[in-house]
Amino acid sequence: MEIYGEFKPYLTKIRDDVLGKLNALNQKEIANNKTKLYEHLIGRVKTEESMTEKCQRKGFPLSPQGALYDCKDAIGVRIVCNFIDDVYRAIELLKAADWCTVVKEKDYITHSKPNGYRSYHLILKVATSYPAIAEATPGGYFVEVQLRTIAMDSWASLEHEMKYKHTIENSKQIVKELKRCADQLASCDVQMQTIRQLIHENH
Amino acid sequence: MRILLAEDEKQLSKVLVTALNSRGYSVVPVYDGQEAVEKASQGVYDLMIFDIMMPLLTGIEALKRIRAAGDQTYVIMLTAMSEVDDKVTGLDAGADDYLTKPFSLKELLARLRSLERRTEDYGNDVLNFGDITLDSNEQRLESFNSISLSAKETRLLNLLILNANKEIASDVLIEHIWDNDEDVEQETLWIYISYLRQKLRAVNAHVEIRGEKGGPYQLVKTDKGGL
Repeated sequence: MEIYGEFKPYLTKIRDDVLGKLNALNQKEIANNKTKLYEHLIGRVKTEESMTEKCQRKGFPLSPQGALYDCKDAIGVRIVCNFIDDVYRAIELLKAADWCTVVKEKDYITHSKPNGYRSYHLILKVATSYPAIAEATPGGYFVEVQLRTIAMDSWASLEHEMKYKHTIENSKQIVKELKRCADQLASCDVQMQTIRQLIHENH
Repeated sequence: MRILLAEDEKQLSKVLVTALNSRGYSVVPVYDGQEAVEKASQGVYDLMIFDIMMPLLTGIEALKRIRAAGDQTYVIMLTAMSEVDDKVTGLDAGADDYLTKPFSLKELLARLRSLERRTEDYGNDVLNFGDITLDSNEQRLESFNSISLSAKETRLLNLLILNANKEIASDVLIEHIWDNDEDVEQETLWIYISYLRQKLRAVNAHVEIRGEKGGPYQLVKTDKGGL
């Protein structure tokens, strides 16, 4: 198990650097009298076991090339926001940030997955001071960022539990109920956002 | 369709039961007002047909008791031709329609077909407009995404779709969506319009509600060029 090779020690450092930069973005917003950007932030480095499994599944080489270049989610960060508007505000700030570039984005909020999953995914290329594999630009690492509201995050946790504990008898009904629940949570998110906008319009 | 028929003239009742059965309706006949109230309280019917002049309880009295119990089943009253007051008291007591005696079987059957159309075509509401689908039973709005709606949002969007492209005044919307006894102001309507607007956006619909605060409001399709 050494799919990350010589680069392994840098990954947790890069994860922490990115978390620090996101925290700085949040502090800057608060300093500018805006509401906080996110409710909480988590980061992880994919274990070598799951990365090996993923590279095998996708047919990528079982090497740093496959794990850090072909796969772009070795380092993952999740930004969980209070409101939908905050998700989009965070995306704009990331697009404008000088320490990263957005190389890929997927909007599962306006185009939710058929099961009801909602989230906004970005792949960032982050410039670092650490050595990186040859195919990436010197010091460049990919980081996957998932942005979602608290409601979307709770739903994803529930869906995750179901995925890993499926009993054949109820799973069809549960899948249907999960979808309905996702639509109701989306309804609440939109309702809260609308109320928030109405409050701000009156000031 | 399951019908409760209260008619004390046995001969007429028999003719109606036979005719209705032959059209595939199932009929439960009763012969006085008291029995009508009892049957109504015990079973579920799609329609009730009540004669007015009946022993024990008149059709009007029976209807009042049934309505007082909370039953909202569609009721047709059978009234005598000359008795205008019967029609008025019947409708005021909660009847939905009336037929004057002697009536033609043809007319009764046409009214039943009309009623079926209304409940089948307009009752299980799935409405489409542009690229949106509104499922009123499920209270769900669908386009590229789907999202739940509240009961009031569902009724509001339902009305807007049925009257698409028309400019509808706030008063008209408030009157149709909220019951008379509710004290609803422009402000409340504006909040619900705002919810629907955001929800239409959230499902990526190419449909929007036009209008400023205070109305009038208009549901229209927008260009697909935006994507």
